[in-house]
Amino acid sequence: MKVVTQAVSCLLALSATLCAGGFDRAIVTANARVVKLYGLAAGAQLGYGTGIVVSPDGRVLTVLSLLIDARRVRAVTSEGTRFAAQVLARDAERQLALLQLVPWEDAERGGVDSDSSSVADSGAPRVGPFPSFDPILGTPLKPSGDPEFPRNIAKEPPRLQPGDWIVAAGNAFKVAEGSEPVSFVRGVFSTRTRLDARRRVRDFPYRGEVLVVDAVTSNPGAPGGAVVNLHGFLVGMVGRDVVSNLTNTHFNYAIPGDVLAAFLRDTETKKNAAPTPTDSSVVNSLDRRSAAEASAEETMNPSRDVGIRLARAGYQKVLPFVERVKLGSPAAQAGLQKDDLILSLNGKNIGDVADFHEQMKMLGPDEPVDLVVRRDRRILSLRMEPTRN
Amino acid sequence: METQGARAIAVQGRIVWCNLFSETRVCCWYRLCLLTMASVLGPLVDRACALSIDRNAGENAQSESESTREEQDFQHFVAIQGLFREVADRVKPFLVRIETVGGAQPVEIRDDPRGPSPEGEIPSPVPRPQNPFRDSPGGGFQIADGPTTGMIYSSDGYILTSSFNFVREPALVSVTLTDGRRLAADVVARDQVRKLAMLKIDAENLPVPEWAPVDEVRVGKWAVALGLGFGGTEPSISVGVVSALNRMTGNAFQSDVKISPANYGGPVCDLTGRVMGIAVPMAQRPGELAGIEMYDSGVGFALPRERVDQIASALRAGRSFYRGWLGMTVDPQNQDAIVILNVADPSPLRTAGAKPGDKIVQVEGKDVRHFGELVQATYMIPAGDEIYVTLERKGIQFGVKLTLARNIDLGPLPEIEEPLDPSVPAIPPTDESVPPEEEP
Repeated sequence: MKVVTQAVSCLLALSATLCAGGFDRAIVTANARVVKLYGLAAGAQLGYGTGIVVSPDGRVLTVLSLLIDARRVRAVTSEGTRFAAQVLARDAERQLALLQLVPWEDAERGGVDSDSSSVADSGAPRVGPFPSFDPILGTPLKPSGDPEFPRNIAKEPPRLQPGDWIVAAGNAFKVAEGSEPVSFVRGVFSTRTRLDARRRVRDFPYRGEVLVVDAVTSNPGAPGGAVVNLHGFLVGMVGRDVVSNLTNTHFNYAIPGDVLAAFLRDTETKKNAAPTPTDSSVVNSLDRRSAAEASAEETMNPSRDVGIRLARAGYQKVLPFVERVKLGSPAAQAGLQKDDLILSLNGKNIGDVADFHEQMKMLGPDEPVDLVVRRDRRILSLRMEPTRN
Repeated sequence: METQGARAIAVQGRIVWCNLFSETRVCCWYRLCLLTMASVLGPLVDRACALSIDRNAGENAQSESESTREEQDFQHFVAIQGLFREVADRVKPFLVRIETVGGAQPVEIRDDPRGPSPEGEIPSPVPRPQNPFRDSPGGGFQIADGPTTGMIYSSDGYILTSSFNFVREPALVSVTLTDGRRLAADVVARDQVRKLAMLKIDAENLPVPEWAPVDEVRVGKWAVALGLGFGGTEPSISVGVVSALNRMTGNAFQSDVKISPANYGGPVCDLTGRVMGIAVPMAQRPGELAGIEMYDSGVGFALPRERVDQIASALRAGRSFYRGWLGMTVDPQNQDAIVILNVADPSPLRTAGAKPGDKIVQVEGKDVRHFGELVQATYMIPAGDEIYVTLERKGIQFGVKLTLARNIDLGPLPEIEEPLDPSVPAIPPTDESVPPEEEP
């Protein structure tokens, strides 16, 4: 009983120190469940970041970056305890990584390399228990693994809706050290959209959905941090700093909770399915990705044709005006005409002829083609089923 | 609308009540009675009370009242996020997605050395244009290909948006309504000074937004900005407060909502879903992209109804607004006086009789002491508008009324025949090392 009282007063004290009022629940919950990460610094990678604890036995989710390629990644919990973090899985597609906390001394003594294969299958958890988030539902878990539902919430996390408050917890600018609480930024969940972005000059590999937020999260050190709702449920993870191709602005976003959950599920599946211990502990999605790409390329038919020839006259940027439509082709059947201007292909804006050809190449073998075209003053939607030569 | 308005007030009402309650220092029993009475007043308070009793059993009165207050704060935030969502639902039918095809990037010319360098720009000196009166779009910002935002202005198909969305001079513009219809649009007119644009689509009976009266746009009020620039059909929501009024010489109000290319041309609403203003990029200097570097900074601007209506009626009639120029060169480094170095021929100043060596001392009756203040006094006045300028020649002040011109209507700078006033240090107007700054 006394322990409980102490714990309660400790929590109250913590909430008083951090903040009081509407956001304290979110802040206290998130702070206890993120770790400060320190690793490899190289070039634009500053060598520090944030991770989210997703199991009582010390699994930590973070963004895929050079940071985790350090010989020994250091993770510091909210209590200030130092652990080594070893990489369990990487996912180049989702740009995520899963780490396992191990005692710092063990890692030092054994000189374990961060990609060690000995961690996952070594039986009983060696660290913890930690307060964590249920990665599937986002529910905050006590160190015992029991859910920590706020009193006024039914036993199901509320669905995140646009306009909902969010708090992002992360070690932006490495402001916090040791047991100091990480930094929090507050905002609302703006919208859910597909990411089309780049880092410097290269396209950002993750093309899935993200949660756009209006809190300022795109700061060094913040990626990998927890994004929670007002009640303290995990809704996403702060993504890496990117520039949106739609607006040409740096913007603030999080990888949605369901994408995080899918990554962890894939990791589990891969682990259970793999026959050898080595494979089972290190799930390298990089390999999976390249295999997927290879198979996609194999299935891609380079001579895909819907019977459209586009304008060729022009300087640098040629607007995609239809020059000719082949008789009897899918394009002709769909009603495409000479001099139509193609505006979009399967929802993607087409700026010029090169864009059109590029988008056609990206099509799956049996994917229908939805064109939006402008004819005189009208804008028309046309659908065609591609054929193969 | 009334229902939502009433709800907003109701939420605030509860909070007021709750605060009164939590500050009551009374014995536990009395409080319990109060709580029981209070519980019939609404589930919100009910919950707070239950929690208060539960949590504070055996604790002292001080922490009891504190935790109650915290719970009330929490419930307040829960309630208010529901209102943000309602605003979005209410405003969605008036939002339109604008897509453009073709057009070039604006030419990169830094026209004001005082402006902060936008991200990614190499701070190397950019060669000045040959013609000092050439208009500069400003900034070095690359306009992206993504969709932009507008809102329906009138039910007969006029769409109000920001001129930012057409800086590239696109060949084609299309507008997609919430009901999914995608229509070709004409750009009727643009205001490059106040950053507005009016489009026309062939559609009838469109829903129109309700605008908040100007006197109800007050500092501290919640502001909700909506935009479609991140793609998809659902608007993105950003939330903040009105942070200042009468910015940009009375044209705009300021808000800390995140305003960026994702919502330029979109509405900034109050909590009942009325439009308080339209989000535009702006800064205290001329240039069509001025202010873009402040995107998402917490310093954003929106034009309120009063200004929008004044400008929109002209835009609907097909009148575009361009940056207004006096047609002269001055030394921007001179912090003591605005001495005219040369006057273009023809130009508004020449028509008004100004000569090299004259000083500009007032604009519209307001003292201007150096180049920065002159820009501040004139950058929001478009070409075609009259202004009253007070000049000083040999210690004698005289006023002239002149009509600002477009840069394309300005003539070249003539050779200076007359010697300048001996009290003024002569600066050769075409010296390459110290280029004279042209003034709007």
